[in-house]
Amino acid sequence: MFRYLVRRLLQMVVTFFGATFIVYALMFANQDDPIRALAGERPISQAERQVLTERYHLDASFWHQYWYYLKGMLTGDFGTSLTGRRISDMMADAWPVTVRLALMAIVIAAAVAILAGVISGIRRGGIFDNVTLVLTLIVLALPIVVLAPLSQLIFGIKLDWFPPTAGLHPSAYALLLPALVLGSLVVATELRVTRSAVGENLRADYVRTARAKGLTRQRVVGVHVLRNSLIPVITLIGVDIGGLMSGAIVTEGVFNIPGVGFNLFRGIHTEDGPLVVGFVSVLVIVFLVVNLLVDLLYAALDPRIRYE
Amino acid sequence: MSDLEAVVTAEGPGPPSAPPPPAEATDKSRSLSDDAWTDLRRSKIFWFAAVLVVLFLVMAAFPTLFTSNDPRDCILARQHAPASGSHFFGYDFQGCDVYAKTVYGARNSVLVGVLATLLAGVIGLVVGLSAGYFGGWLDALLSRFIDVVLGVPFLLAAIVLAKRLAAGSNSTGIAAVALTLGFLGWTTAARIIRSAVIASKNQDYVAAARMLGAGPVRLMFRHILPNSITSFVVVLTILLGANIASEATLSFLGVGLRNGAISWGISIAEAGRYARTAPWPLVWPSVFLALTVLAFIMLGDAIRDAFDPKLR
Amino acid sequence: MSGKRPWKTAVGATAVVLLATGCSGSDSSNSSSTSNNVVIGIGEPQHLIPSNSTESNGSDVLSSLFYPLVGFDADKKPVPVAAKSITANPTSKVWTIKLKPGFTFSNGEPVTSDNYLNAWNYAAYGPNGQGGSYFFERISGYADVQAGKDPDGDGPQKGAGPKAKELSGLKKVDDTTFTVTLSAPFAGWASVMGYTAFYPLPKAAFSAPGVIAPGFEDAVIGNGPFKIKGKWQHDSQIQVEKVAGFKGTVPKIDGITWKIYQDQTSEYADLIAGNVDVQTQIPIESLASAAGDLGNRFQKSPNSSFTFVGFPTFQKEFANVDVRRALSMAVDRKEMTDQIFLGSQTPATSFVSPVVAGYRPNTCGANCEYNPSAAKALYDAAHGPRDLKITYNADGGHKAWVDAMCNQIRASLGIKCTGVGEPKFADLLTKVEKKQPVGLIRLAWTMDYPLMENFLGPLYATDGSSNYYGYSNPTFDSLVKQGSVAPSPAEAITKWRAAEDILAKDMPVIPLRFGQNVYGHSERVKNVDVDLFSKVDIYKIEIVK
Repeated sequence: MFRYLVRRLLQMVVTFFGATFIVYALMFANQDDPIRALAGERPISQAERQVLTERYHLDASFWHQYWYYLKGMLTGDFGTSLTGRRISDMMADAWPVTVRLALMAIVIAAAVAILAGVISGIRRGGIFDNVTLVLTLIVLALPIVVLAPLSQLIFGIKLDWFPPTAGLHPSAYALLLPALVLGSLVVATELRVTRSAVGENLRADYVRTARAKGLTRQRVVGVHVLRNSLIPVITLIGVDIGGLMSGAIVTEGVFNIPGVGFNLFRGIHTEDGPLVVGFVSVLVIVFLVVNLLVDLLYAALDPRIRYE
Repeated sequence: MSDLEAVVTAEGPGPPSAPPPPAEATDKSRSLSDDAWTDLRRSKIFWFAAVLVVLFLVMAAFPTLFTSNDPRDCILARQHAPASGSHFFGYDFQGCDVYAKTVYGARNSVLVGVLATLLAGVIGLVVGLSAGYFGGWLDALLSRFIDVVLGVPFLLAAIVLAKRLAAGSNSTGIAAVALTLGFLGWTTAARIIRSAVIASKNQDYVAAARMLGAGPVRLMFRHILPNSITSFVVVLTILLGANIASEATLSFLGVGLRNGAISWGISIAEAGRYARTAPWPLVWPSVFLALTVLAFIMLGDAIRDAFDPKLR
Repeated sequence: MSGKRPWKTAVGATAVVLLATGCSGSDSSNSSSTSNNVVIGIGEPQHLIPSNSTESNGSDVLSSLFYPLVGFDADKKPVPVAAKSITANPTSKVWTIKLKPGFTFSNGEPVTSDNYLNAWNYAAYGPNGQGGSYFFERISGYADVQAGKDPDGDGPQKGAGPKAKELSGLKKVDDTTFTVTLSAPFAGWASVMGYTAFYPLPKAAFSAPGVIAPGFEDAVIGNGPFKIKGKWQHDSQIQVEKVAGFKGTVPKIDGITWKIYQDQTSEYADLIAGNVDVQTQIPIESLASAAGDLGNRFQKSPNSSFTFVGFPTFQKEFANVDVRRALSMAVDRKEMTDQIFLGSQTPATSFVSPVVAGYRPNTCGANCEYNPSAAKALYDAAHGPRDLKITYNADGGHKAWVDAMCNQIRASLGIKCTGVGEPKFADLLTKVEKKQPVGLIRLAWTMDYPLMENFLGPLYATDGSSNYYGYSNPTFDSLVKQGSVAPSPAEAITKWRAAEDILAKDMPVIPLRFGQNVYGHSERVKNVDVDLFSKVDIYKIEIVK
């Protein structure tokens, strides 16, 4: 197991550089004219253009620019965004609120999905199963660009159950509605995967043996079936955590949370290469750590799986 | 009947509770697919789903069978007008016929959804299966490759891909959107099938088959895959719905379907802004989208249940 | 291996996670509960150094921190505010500015001519790359403070450095008087000095001559009625509080929280919930319900925004002026402003905005009147293209009205029309520069200062900074220049009106709409005015007692 861990950590370093390089290359490919993108619709003077080009080495070749970026990153300096702010400051502001939002969302989504998935899996074809199917469909059919403002309208304004926006330093209660909306993106898949896994495992031989030995249904389902059914759903949760952090663009916009998603969107929009790559570097590390944890969890859940 | 037997024999979208009578089984040697087809033929859910799928496929291919109105005949003066005559769903913000737009929108939406999901499924299957079965350095390589693809923000990759893949100035860009969604959506499916393969390859029946002389390909496709396919199929059916909806987000950013294309995603995203005062242009395309997703999910469930050898 | 332990750990872990995410946040929206403060919504400013601030968010905040040299009365004429007097010599080439004595910056420094001259020299000096630098173009010596042009385009050789560090046209007379010499006479110069770029900077802004002190931008010190409390909290808010003993007009409120929103719809949600007091721009999606939600707290006022579509001159299919006239007549502007914009914008049938002196309604005449049958006849006779494209930037919310415009053109002329959305404005411009077939291009303009000239020069002069379509007419250019050097505003307007008449004949663009400020406020405040520049009048707004 120890050798496995060491190998994984080494691979993480390689993956990190690979991923950041690809993102850097993508930003470079996407960049037609970052100075113009920053200025929006107003005209830019020659002087402004020259100053910004020199300051950010925008006229250097791709490898030159990548080299400047690498040098900075290896000394812990994530550089400056095209607007002049230090990227490490921007990250210190954005990451905490996004991490809180994503964690809340994933915990709520996983809890709902696993609970409802288990019940649906046990009573397949029953009322509960069909009702959750319909609810899943409604959530799936509405794109987030509609679901988020609609929830804000109904639950935030009309019913006044939650504050309509959250901001940079929100309380847990203010984050609840955005977390629910964000969680809805992933709860459908997680629920159905749990349901199918539970349904399948209930027909397995070892379940019949356990029951024949005299174990109660709670124990059979809660201990034996659940452990085996969780493997696919854990995989999903692992993937979803990272996805929610980087993809919560619409939710963050609607609820006014200037987190990672918003900064990524802004950076892509203004062709701000250093900003996007800075945030993605941290995101990749998060993905890698979470995936390592997920793989370790497989081994914990299923003793037949071995790593050497 | 004990509780457990009640659980095991619960009615639902699945095979019949009693195994086929022995008399049939001795007539001729039956393969998995023959067994599956027999079960499928008897399942009500399968037929219901199949009918829906065929209905939407026909709507996508021949919209004129469903409506004779022109979805592009938009007159601003008719904005949000209520239903009348053959315009069953009323008019939207631009004064276009909602029913006609929904019918014509089926083609682009279904095409994008199916193509993107097929692409994601194929790539995911190949990568996940190889990584899970062969293990070792190949697994490490492929898993890290998945991590790298996951690490790239969807939005960034979508914009760059869409720009680079954009075809001539008059196409609607379906291929570009489907390719973008497919290339970026295969990772979840790959990880799911990988984890399922890892779990099943250590089972006794695999060891038994190997001892009987089965090679890796035969092991993979005849023994391991049918036992690992369940969660994978579930994820794909949901991915289909998600892809149809993702197309809306892409179109909104200016990198989706272009040149006046009509799709459910575009209709939903546009109508959503005015949902407070005019909900119907939002509701109808959403209903069609939900029904399509439902149909594919049920179809996937039924097929998967029929093919799952654990349920024999 | 008891079965209960994993569950207990799982439940415990979940509880810990939820508690951790809950406890680590604090609700800092205490702004609206403080008695005499108002909360105004803005977007995140790009810069807070006045000479680098070219967008409305930065200008909003700066208007509370600084006191302008010049303001504008109801007739859009400039009136001295921080200045005691602004006088021009008979040729309108040399301007003398006398400052009102006794003003100080919020850090105690007295406001003197040096503060203005240092700030303006910093702004104009090319290598500082200030976005508002071009406002100083008319001052004599501007060319000398610009870096030489790069001799081989983007190549490795750099251009020569600027010949001078300061504008030769700026001269200090004494601590409260200085003169500005223009390179060519311009009667409207006083109006130009009302812009944000002309604010003074305290000595504390510079760590060395010509170098802004690091950290100054996060805690800008100005000569206005308010000062920053703490620092600029990026993406969150900027709080300003009253300066004691301010010598100018004292606002009725004690402080402002400029609350930063990424999205106007979420700002609107907060407006209805009472978490923000003023929203200066209510988004279109919320317009339908705004009247119901806000009642008479939903108001409109004119602003200078102007939306139009341009005909890139490299596209030969639009070369025939009849084609352009026919397209202009095929569009029903009133229907668009009524149905799509719900009255929040007004149809444009002139080339300059109604907010500037010299505006005449309907200078476009019959060419801008909706007449589908005449349009079709004219279009067919001129052999206009049967397949039309209108290119716009998808991130500006333009899809709805461009599609509507295409539908109208289709109905009037019987041709195919498609709206093509590019992801960003920069992408649209790239296509235009590469001379790709973009069809018509959607453009918009907001004035820098309230003069007719600002709608004519930048948009239609041959070297106009926003003349992306390439229109060029030497007679037009010379008329605009003659207006600029005319000895009095009235004569300037005569020349400029003649220039506008040329536009009406040539139709280089199709004027579509003039904008308005569509704003709303909460029940906590009253006397809310939003001016021509879409800025809240912070001197008039007060709390309802």
